[in-house]
Amino acid sequence: LLFEQSLPILSYTVQRTVNGGKTMILKGKAAIIGIGEVPSGRFPERPCIVSALDAVVMAIKDAGIKAEEIDMVMPTGTVYNAQYNNEMITGRLVEELGLAGKVKINVQAFSGGSSSSTLMKLAAAMVISGAAKCILCVHSEKLATGVSMQGGIDLFSTAGIAKEWEVPFGQHYSSVAALATQRYKYETGTTDEQLAAICVSNRKWAELNPNAMFRKPLTIEEVLTSKMLSTPLRSKQSNMLADGGAAFIVMSAEKAGNYTDKPVYLLGSSSRVTHFVYSQEPDLTRFSYAEAAKDAFREAGLTPQDIDVMEIYDSYPIYQLIGFEETGFCKRGEGGRLFLEGHTWPGGKYPVTTNGGMLSQGHTGGGGGVALLVESARQLMGKAGERQVKDARFAAYTSTGGTYYDAHVTILGTEVPN
Amino acid sequence: MAISEKPVPETSTWTEPFWKAARERKLIIQRCIDCRKNIFYPRLICPFCFSKNIEWIEASGKGTVYTFTVVENNAPSAFLNDMPYIIAVVRLDEGVQMLSNIVDCEPDQVRCDMPVAVTYKKINEEYTLPVFKPQSIR
Repeated sequence: LLFEQSLPILSYTVQRTVNGGKTMILKGKAAIIGIGEVPSGRFPERPCIVSALDAVVMAIKDAGIKAEEIDMVMPTGTVYNAQYNNEMITGRLVEELGLAGKVKINVQAFSGGSSSSTLMKLAAAMVISGAAKCILCVHSEKLATGVSMQGGIDLFSTAGIAKEWEVPFGQHYSSVAALATQRYKYETGTTDEQLAAICVSNRKWAELNPNAMFRKPLTIEEVLTSKMLSTPLRSKQSNMLADGGAAFIVMSAEKAGNYTDKPVYLLGSSSRVTHFVYSQEPDLTRFSYAEAAKDAFREAGLTPQDIDVMEIYDSYPIYQLIGFEETGFCKRGEGGRLFLEGHTWPGGKYPVTTNGGMLSQGHTGGGGGVALLVESARQLMGKAGERQVKDARFAAYTSTGGTYYDAHVTILGTEVPN
Repeated sequence: MAISEKPVPETSTWTEPFWKAARERKLIIQRCIDCRKNIFYPRLICPFCFSKNIEWIEASGKGTVYTFTVVENNAPSAFLNDMPYIIAVVRLDEGVQMLSNIVDCEPDQVRCDMPVAVTYKKINEEYTLPVFKPQSIR
């Protein structure tokens, strides 16, 4: 009885804390101050470590820091080669950068495609607490030329797909995406043409992105006549595995001001883990982005209407559409029309996935998300060149890992709203 | 392209009864003796109440297709000869869901929310997979 009586009071207190402050410990107190990225694509002659180092050197220069100021390195996971991954875990980058004895912590943070969001949140918490001062987050991958084509399919038919409950039935990443697409179409009436338009929208942005793997114009007809993989998913709605590398540097907001006039502040960040085995997901058409978005926007003190750039994780069109709708940019079932009518293209009202996403920039494993987070920062820094969204102040970035086991929403901005 | 052997389930001691039953053409799931909730896939600890008092029950074998896909190209190596094949998430009448294949059904006949019933597909002497067919087929 005592428990039952106290429960409403307890939940009221928790609610107040969430609304009133405790989840706002990160808001505006950490920032990205530098970014670097190498082109994604097929680069057989470019060793993976070079992708990492080139991106890191760019990020250091972009931040205007001395390399010695980095006291923590967080490489995220690389899956093309276990040995290379172990080297990243055990300090190779520190040594390659001449920072042996200076860097205090080298640790891997990896949650698949959502590693970017995880890195950002962990790095922010570390610099805000004072446990670290300047954190280098890095990703590098060689999925295009480090493994064979069928090797890539086989790798991704087992990476994150349950070996007891799904692999024996022929489950792989295309079928995973197709299962969500089929149900989503059934529930919302979204058409194949609208789903194809997501690929076209991403390509429009990639045409303006020198680091993208695919930059030739793409039409809806080309998408809809491409090879059927797993119904209703076609080959041009499938990402292509790529080599790539990207890096970003995180500092406390307090110190960031000493280096740049435009720190990219972390304003809000939330997420949900919704399954391990894909077929255990309670709603394959939603994935709890809405709950994560509600928290993140509340922390930031913003609404979806305030957002200038929507960097929505794709990997396949269906996840980009669900992420876009559930994060709150339009009603469920209306997103397909916005993509089809060009509202998400360069110059449109909703600039979505402005680097071209994994569908056009290329899928570099966990780096697909890192690239999109780096793009969010690039847009806010005003460094996005031809595809720059004018006067971008606030960006929403979403990501998800494994077989879409989690849903992250991260809000970034060049100013800290009240 | 060399066709590699079919991947068999990587089992654990506590999931063995499920696979043994499948070999005998029975579909069993778990039920928590304490909170009475049905559980799939098999666990040592009830994910709803953390009880270790878990029993096996025979499922009706009936359910509906929550969603599906017909794999037509780019399957994993071991499945290249099976294309086209149907993968589906099936919601059992017992309230749990599982990944499976739909068999005895033309690829263009499968639909979301279609009623299905369990049947079995033998991979080798040791492993048989519970798969599903349209309920309209006996």
